[in-house]
Amino acid sequence: MLTRHRDTASSVLHRPVTVAEAVDLLADGSASVLAGGSWVMRGEIRGDGFADAYVLVSGLPELLELRRTDDALVIGAAVTHAQLARFLAGDPHLAGLSAAARTSANPAIRRVATVGGNLATIDFAAADLVPALLALSARVTLVDAAGERHLALADYLASRPDAAPGALLTQVTVPVTPGLTVHERLTMRVAGDYPVAIVDAHVRLDADGLVDEATIAVGSVEPVARLWPSLSSRLVGAPLDAGVAEATARELAGELRGRDGVEAQGWYRLQVLPTLVGRAFYTLQQETGQR
Amino acid sequence: MTTELTVNGSPRAVHNPPMTPLARVLREDLHLTGTKLACGEGFCGSCTVFVDDEALASCLVPVGSVAGASIRTVESMATPRGPLAPVQQAMKDTDAVQCGMCFPGILTSLTALLDENPRPDRADVETALVGNICRCTGYERIVEAALGLGTETGAGA
Repeated sequence: MLTRHRDTASSVLHRPVTVAEAVDLLADGSASVLAGGSWVMRGEIRGDGFADAYVLVSGLPELLELRRTDDALVIGAAVTHAQLARFLAGDPHLAGLSAAARTSANPAIRRVATVGGNLATIDFAAADLVPALLALSARVTLVDAAGERHLALADYLASRPDAAPGALLTQVTVPVTPGLTVHERLTMRVAGDYPVAIVDAHVRLDADGLVDEATIAVGSVEPVARLWPSLSSRLVGAPLDAGVAEATARELAGELRGRDGVEAQGWYRLQVLPTLVGRAFYTLQQETGQR
Repeated sequence: MTTELTVNGSPRAVHNPPMTPLARVLREDLHLTGTKLACGEGFCGSCTVFVDDEALASCLVPVGSVAGASIRTVESMATPRGPLAPVQQAMKDTDAVQCGMCFPGILTSLTALLDENPRPDRADVETALVGNICRCTGYERIVEAALGLGTETGAGA
């Protein structure tokens, strides 16, 4: 049973040296995972407080893995945004994910905030990496006392509120397939704050330049990032056109429920979302023109 | 709990609960008050220090998570009677400093930028400073000072 304290004074910190040891410490649900700390350490300000105990996973070698093959990218859950951005710099197949890692928050936070923390923090609606990885059809690896299992990211996100305690997210696997990717975010300032809305897209064109496949994901608009399958399917078979994408998104925007937050109200997020979709497709158009 | 660290080149042992923010330990236990603890959320940048050569928001770093690490604060940039580090001297030369609250973090963020990119352009400098909030200066002289450093070698910490 997880109990909370108002400040940090009562919390214990475990420092396991293996995934098995970490999983053992997490098994009874009395401890929480600590990776970069950028969410956990703000618990007092949010009013969430702190857990009895934390299990520090940021030094586990398995969680620091970062490797790319011709057809997949494997990201350890404790890899930071800054490490991921450096690793992906100039990778033409993963431009959207690279931008998400490179532009979220600010440099000092990107050097501590981890990929796993972005995915596992239920209350963090504005995480940039979540829609970026959804658009790439990423899968996550979870390890618990029963062993290792793999889930599509979308299924993992849906399962989080009711998940039994004790599972540790260890890796994210991204299939690298042909196509273009983009990450667009709208912030109230130029940078450094939470985005009002995020749009990620992965699009593959056929030989005639028509959209053959599209996967579009939306972040920060609803409480949890999600795929937008109806928009994706409506754009298949059409030319890559920012105006069409924006108009179609405006037509379908009623499918989403905007969340109210301190930086923007829900109606505003829905209002700007189609424009952001248009910007994303304009970026893809520009990239296609350059090829 | 005792946590052993190397702070500005010297071995130190601190005795705090492990989830205590590193910024608080630096200020209240080690009296290194150049590091500010302002927003406590990683947004303002005034607590930025180097942890194993990475410039981090030390308000978000639990001290227990950096046991054994090497910490460098703004106090390491120059000795009281020695010359200023180039990035400090540049701020002085351009009269960029006003109240000074944000400057330890700005110096650290710019040092991190110049270590990685010795010849940044304006966009690089502005991007590097998005997490450092200054309420006095309007940033222009800070950016100009950093751009001037880009023509020299070694920002130095």
